[in-house]
Amino acid sequence: MASLKRWVVVGVTACSVLALAYLPPRGATASGRSFFMAQSRQGTRARQRAQALADQWRGADAALRLLRARREVQELLREAKAGTSLVVVSESADVTTAAPPIADSAIHIAWRQLGLGETKVRVAVIIQLAIVSPVHDRPTIEAGIAAYLAPDSTDRTTCIAVLPSGNYWTRFFRGERRDGAPFAFEALVQTLKSGLGPCAFYAAYGTPGKSVRAWLVARGWDLALTLDAGARGPYGNSLIEMTDRRYPWFWEAVYSVPPTAVACLASRPTGCRAAVLAGASDDPSIPFPDLMRIDRRWGRVPRVVEGQRFLGDVARAVGRDRFLNFWTTALPVDTALAAALKRPVGEWTADWQSGFVHPIRLGPAPPLGGVAIALAIAALAVALVGVTASRRQVR
Amino acid sequence: MKVVIVLLAIAALARPAIAQQRWERQVQERVQRAIDAVATSSRLPVVKRSGMLNTDEAASFSTTLVQGTSYAIVAVCDDDCSRLQLTLLSPSGSDLAKERNSESLPILHFHAETTTVYGIRVVMEGCHWNPCWYGIAVVPLRKIPS
Repeated sequence: MASLKRWVVVGVTACSVLALAYLPPRGATASGRSFFMAQSRQGTRARQRAQALADQWRGADAALRLLRARREVQELLREAKAGTSLVVVSESADVTTAAPPIADSAIHIAWRQLGLGETKVRVAVIIQLAIVSPVHDRPTIEAGIAAYLAPDSTDRTTCIAVLPSGNYWTRFFRGERRDGAPFAFEALVQTLKSGLGPCAFYAAYGTPGKSVRAWLVARGWDLALTLDAGARGPYGNSLIEMTDRRYPWFWEAVYSVPPTAVACLASRPTGCRAAVLAGASDDPSIPFPDLMRIDRRWGRVPRVVEGQRFLGDVARAVGRDRFLNFWTTALPVDTALAAALKRPVGEWTADWQSGFVHPIRLGPAPPLGGVAIALAIAALAVALVGVTASRRQVR
Repeated sequence: MKVVIVLLAIAALARPAIAQQRWERQVQERVQRAIDAVATSSRLPVVKRSGMLNTDEAASFSTTLVQGTSYAIVAVCDDDCSRLQLTLLSPSGSDLAKERNSESLPILHFHAETTTVYGIRVVMEGCHWNPCWYGIAVVPLRKIPS
């Protein structure tokens, strides 16, 4: 009887220690909302409906603006001298004017920095200036959302980009903000360089083959937003790259991206392959007119971390000729990309991804303290059994 | 003063519809060289067409060929084009002659038996940097008396 009591006490003690080790000490429940991620509070249903309508309006407005620009651009190109591949104008309140000299200068520097000279596909940029006095009869223009019209929807050799400049740059163009001008000018060059988006790829490599183009259209061109993002910076462009993985917001940022992107962050080739090749189809279809509306705002959830520079980095890694073979291919995207990389797509992408984020560990990962306590309990249990067995007497 | 006005008018008229790109000029020069090389002796006009195509795209146009005349149909394309296919079509749309082995300079020779409208189709089979410019010239060589 005494022996049974002792075993009961040992069992209860072991369970208590296990509970102390593995249950949250403060009994905290997982909160539904994020602690650090940039998220706005969920609006009322009426507000959500209004925002959805406003977004639809912006989409329709951007489409209309691009189709109208198609006509105006022909006039500009007629006036341009031979060999001109980049034309820039500005627009405010539906009135097109010459681009501000500083913007014109900045975008031509960006063009040269991208290594573009005379190109087969020309680019017409319309810098949309913010309206000074607020209008209340229509939604405001979102500065981070640019719209593009592919060459096949114009004269086949002109890509049109409409870039909303937002309040800051509009005031800068008007000379109202010139504090830190050299820094601001460099920032403007970078902004316009990335603003060229898909049009920069069209200019550099021409119109992609049907399979590649349909793949990019299906993905919203998310892998080809920046032709030349430059060297990898120390901090990166996303919260995942900026934060320390010891803190919970790192993991919140990780689990906000799609599962295939999480797998890619863990350097799993199958996940990387699935993340990159999503949208590739054996039966490609391309809409007409081919309008692209691209959200570049901070906080958007990427399909692949740093995906905006993926094809730019592929082009730099494989060289122009091999990249052009991929770009104009008639083969399926996965085959053509693997041929250009001379490696399986998943493996190459996993290596590329690990250059931005040190691979995370997925799967069971017990904390060090928990492991120590569990081992101690196991050792205690073994010792108790050993001691009990040594004292056992058969009568 | 009149001279200045005339010069200004000529300059305004001479301005191209849209500034030509390097590749377009390249193709037009090649078409002209091809016409010069073929050395026509006919008084019939040379028909020229040019345009641009992405890989695997095709373009067609119609032209009247005169009975009893031999023609050379020449197609050229820009430096980024690797293969161009040229086909002569009958009025009903069937293939009369096809040239796809000469890579970027296909040439067809044809003797028109009747005066009628023929079709000419060009297919951009290989273009390394889309779109590729092409040019076609239908050059009458000589009229053979029947």
